Amino acid sequence: MGVFDLKIISKHFDDPQARHLDHYETHGGYRMAKRATTMAPGDIHGEVKTSNLRGRGGAGFPTGVKWGFVPKDAETVYLVVNADESEPGTFKDRHILHWNPHLLIEGMIIASRSLRVHNAYIYIRGEMQREYRILQDALDQAYAKGYLGKRIFGSDVDLDVTICRGLGAYICGEETALLSSLEGGRGWPRLKPPFPAVKGLWGQPTIVNNVETIANLPWILEHGGQAFADVGVGRSGGLRLVSVCGHVERPGVYELPLTVTGNDLIDICGGMREGKAVKAVIPGGVSMPVLTADELDVPFEFDALQNDARIREVETAPGVKFDLGGNRTLRTMAGSGGVVVMDETTDITMAAWRILHFFADESCGQCTPCREGTGWLTQVAHRVAFGHGRAGDVELMASIADGIAGNTICALGDAAAWPTLAFITKFRQEFEDKVKNSLAHSPSAPSGTGAQAAGAS
Amino acid sequence: MPAKQLTPEIEAWIEQRWSRFPEGAAGKALTLGVLYQAQEAFGHVDTEVIDLVATRLGLTAAHVRGVATFYTMINPREVGRYHLQVCTNIGCMLEGAYKVFEHCKARLGVENKETTADGNVTLSEVECLAACGYGPVAQIAEKGKPEIPLYFEELDLETVDKILDGLEKGEVPTELGR
Ligand SMILES: Cc1cc2nc3c(=O)[nH]c(=O)nc-3n(C[C@H](O)[C@H](O)[C@H](O)COP(=O)(O)O)c2cc1C
Ligand code: SF4
Ligand code: FES
Repeated sequence: MGVFDLKIISKHFDDPQARHLDHYETHGGYRMAKRATTMAPGDIHGEVKTSNLRGRGGAGFPTGVKWGFVPKDAETVYLVVNADESEPGTFKDRHILHWNPHLLIEGMIIASRSLRVHNAYIYIRGEMQREYRILQDALDQAYAKGYLGKRIFGSDVDLDVTICRGLGAYICGEETALLSSLEGGRGWPRLKPPFPAVKGLWGQPTIVNNVETIANLPWILEHGGQAFADVGVGRSGGLRLVSVCGHVERPGVYELPLTVTGNDLIDICGGMREGKAVKAVIPGGVSMPVLTADELDVPFEFDALQNDARIREVETAPGVKFDLGGNRTLRTMAGSGGVVVMDETTDITMAAWRILHFFADESCGQCTPCREGTGWLTQVAHRVAFGHGRAGDVELMASIADGIAGNTICALGDAAAWPTLAFITKFRQEFEDKVKNSLAHSPSAPSGTGAQAAGAS
Repeated sequence: MPAKQLTPEIEAWIEQRWSRFPEGAAGKALTLGVLYQAQEAFGHVDTEVIDLVATRLGLTAAHVRGVATFYTMINPREVGRYHLQVCTNIGCMLEGAYKVFEHCKARLGVENKETTADGNVTLSEVECLAACGYGPVAQIAEKGKPEIPLYFEELDLETVDKILDGLEKGEVPTELGR
């Protein structure tokens, strides 16, 4: 399995020297950035299109297609790298920033050349204070060498890269909220369309790409878009960084072929801890619908997770499929590559509550269905999980979630609704048993606290 | 007390960044960065700091206040010398983060987002810190020492005790962090 030996992004993870420019150049770094400055922008774009690179931030949208939405006659175009990584379960971008910041910078130079960008920004999550410093050091080194600034690499191309730091708001990972925040305002998402590629930062065409997406570009330029496409499968090129947490022997970040299934992934992570059985796996960050143990033979690849008939469709009530619109149903999605593995001892109702609690906290409050719905959902999920459930609570959760989905400005609403419906569809009995149990016991117990969650998990 | 002023470091930072943004957009774009650095300098962001930032950047106080209240990393009140932030989100919860958090609460005698009576430690329950595979995870920030934010991973109660012992003595046990 030669493809398992290939590393596009993670080759130098865990090597503290790798973040220094000298070391990076010893291993061939910045050659592709330099080459890019001598290439025609359209040729770079061509390679990216051929590569089948798909966005690693969550939606899996083809990067070459997205870049093509920028109006041809645009005078000012911005590139914004989304380094806000805050989708629970996801911790791969932080590894890139931490171990290989120059790879991101080189990718940005390539993207900027292709998109005719002269001002690029990195929006980094506020909590990542160490990574901010690492990245700023790397930028300073690149400026000192003339790889950024005026006439980079001696060409006639100018490029400035500026880091902007978030201040603690999950919603700022959503691209339009990110732009609002970068402009210096509250992180409020905007209605799409217009899409940022047409009207983004300060009203100008703006490409927002995830850190990992951009970090693939040096390899694509070096080996060609076709080679990248060949490494992948179907309409998805390249490898993928997967971050695995939860009840496996060796959690961590792995760079893997897209053919790897959920079961393979657990094996690669050394199997389940203490030989326990797997109960549930979230494949792409907590926004994505959960999978059960018998749905793990499907590759963790964008299209497979959406379409493979071995994955059960999410329902709003037993037998009633959730309608994604356009005659599509919802299975799950590869999302951010954040994989959460839960073993047989996990209380699914508790997991569902904690995830909903997160979304309720992070809702920006602009749309009523999201603001009210996530709060209400959390309340009901809490009482179910902590043993004070009431008759009809499971149906109530499903109907609140159904009322949020598709009715909000941004996808945070869906991100709360979809996993809720999936948990209920696939673990309904567990929710109902919890409610039945609490009805059988004292109905007037005090409300639960975190301490009880600890006991239960 | 003399009126507060932005530090020379902040002034230099504004100077250096200003040209990175389009004409007319820089002042607003620098709001988050200046607010954060002002908080590092003054400990927290109150009305006076908001006015200061607004005046310097040519913005209305209403705008700056709106931003300051939106983001959770801006503290309207004084926080302790150490800010201990424990993640309890799903990855960490599966590894026992609530036990860690409850233990911190009990030992420090505070609830979430409260500061010990001596002003030494503020405890916060935070969302995912992007280290989910190494949970339970906590981050400690020390006032005035931007180099300190350290992650503490795979926490058990014994390590938590060592960390809290350290903070009591006025030192972050950096050898336990990464
Ligand atoms: C609520 C929400 C949070 C998001 N958080 C992130 C994030 O932290 N990082 C990220 O790259 N994309 C995040 N996204 C996706 C972005 O909106 C956007 O699609 C992505 O940055 C585009 O980059 P890509 O095409 O390279 O994937 C989030 C989306 C939503 C709806
Ligand atoms: S869906 Fe939620 S987070 Fe998104 S804009 Fe509406 S209220 Fe804000
Ligand atoms: S869940 Fe704790 S760091 Fe991600």
